[in-house]
Order: sequence, then structure tokens, then C-alpha cells
Amino acid sequence: MSDRTIEDRLREEYFDLLPDIRRVAWQLETEIRYATLPIQRTLAHAEQLIVKSRVKECESALKTLSRVSEGRTFDPERPGDYSLLSLPDLAGVQVLVFPRNRLTEVDSALHERFPSWTAKPLKNNEGVVLAPRYFGYCEAVGTRVRGEYQVVPMLLGLFWEVEHSAIYKPDPRLSGRANTREMNRLRKDVEAALSRFEDGFESIVRDSNL
Amino acid sequence: MKPDILSQADFRYNFDRDLYVNRTMKKAFSLEFVDDHPEDELRKLIQESTDENGWRFYFNHPPSDGVRRELERVLG
Repeated sequence: MSDRTIEDRLREEYFDLLPDIRRVAWQLETEIRYATLPIQRTLAHAEQLIVKSRVKECESALKTLSRVSEGRTFDPERPGDYSLLSLPDLAGVQVLVFPRNRLTEVDSALHERFPSWTAKPLKNNEGVVLAPRYFGYCEAVGTRVRGEYQVVPMLLGLFWEVEHSAIYKPDPRLSGRANTREMNRLRKDVEAALSRFEDGFESIVRDSNL
Repeated sequence: MKPDILSQADFRYNFDRDLYVNRTMKKAFSLEFVDDHPEDELRKLIQESTDENGWRFYFNHPPSDGVRRELERVLG
């Protein structure tokens, strides 16, 4: 029988962890829904707050772990160096908020709920913070698997969903070609335009005393 | 564009490893290396002769012996 590869060992680890990952995702989503309920009740017409959870898929987790090193190759002589528990986002929740001025309110409510979680905001290539993001443990369901939550302006979040699969996880035939300086510039333009749209909408609401 | 320079020199993109590979030359460029180095330097490195019998890996951080052996096994 041939030796098991590091990938096989990590797949076994994934399915061993999967019940915990699911529990963290459910717990985190439920706690976030509960913590944002008072805000949800006060949303005005056209304002939105959507909470979504996701469990990272097995192959995606392996790919993320291998992506740490150039050549995307695990060192077969150092199997102990690799564990999926080093990934902070096996269970994740995304809170989409519109308009953006609701974001601070949601962020504060969640920070109060998860005061010990580590902040690692999502930034663009220039280091500008686009959305708050935190990692930590849901101690009610264990301290093996970490969870992640992020509070994202809705327009940006929906754009990223499309952009992520087109550019970050592209069709293999586009791999290495999609993530170019020109595409990065275009993405930055879209992000700036979406921010301006939110500024404009917020200004109309403010001026109308709604 | 850098991918075109590599493609014209018969480098093929390996989707699993994010490497540009030329099996005849036995050279492989990592995606990170290609991103971080100018076109002129890539052209020079594509042309440079290698005395070694084995593979030449152009990485920002040289691969460990274990990774090198694994890549050589996978790339053939």
C-alpha cells in the first residue's frame, strides 16, 4: 500500500473537523442575527441587513493552506507542519449592510458581542480599510475551530462575490492572466464608484430628513 | 504582458501549482516570482543557460529540498 500524501491526511482532518466547523458557523450566524436584531427592527425603507454563513469546502481549505507557499506544494518531509486548524476562516459569516452609514452601528453591536476577537480588516492594495473583519472562537461550541465574521457594505460585498469567482478563482484558462494590474485598476474604479453611490444616497437621505 | 512572454517561450501554466513550466528547458517560474520581477529580467532568465541536469525553480523564496523533490516528481 502506498504512503498517504499530506493532502490525504488533510482531507481526513477536514472531515474530522467538519461537525465542529458546522457548529461554529451555525452558532456564529445565530449570535450575529440575535445581536443585530435591534438594528434590523429599525431599518428604514431601502435599508438592508443580510446575514449569511458559509462552511469552507474541503478542497478550498487545502488550496488555501497550500497557497501559503510558492509552487502550492506541501513538503512531504515535514507533514507535521500542516494543519487546517491554522486557517482562521473554516466557518465564516458575512453581514451585508446598506447603506454604509449603518455599518458602524452593526460593527459596534458585534464588537460588544465578541469583545475578545482579533480584528483583521479587509483592505485594498493601497491599505485602505474596506470592511471590518474579526477572527475568534465561539466558546459555547468549543475552541478547536476558529470563526470569522466580516461586516461589508452591501454593494461592495455583492460586487466581490462576482469578482471573486471571476478573478480570484478564475476559469483555469484565465489563471495567471485575470489578476493583472489593469484588472486591479478596474476593480479599484468599481469600488470607488460604489462608494460614491453610497455617499450620494446617504446625502439624499440626510437632506430629506428621513 | 508577462504571460505572453512566457507563453512565447513555450512555458505552460500549471493550474494546480500556479507555475509557468517548460519541461524541455526544465525551468519553472512561480506566479509570485513572475509578479515581482520585470519583463526584461524574465526574458533574461528564460534565455539563461543552466548547467544543471535537474530542474531550475525561479521562486522568490527557494523551495526546500522536500518541495523541490516533490515538484520534480510531479513535473516529470
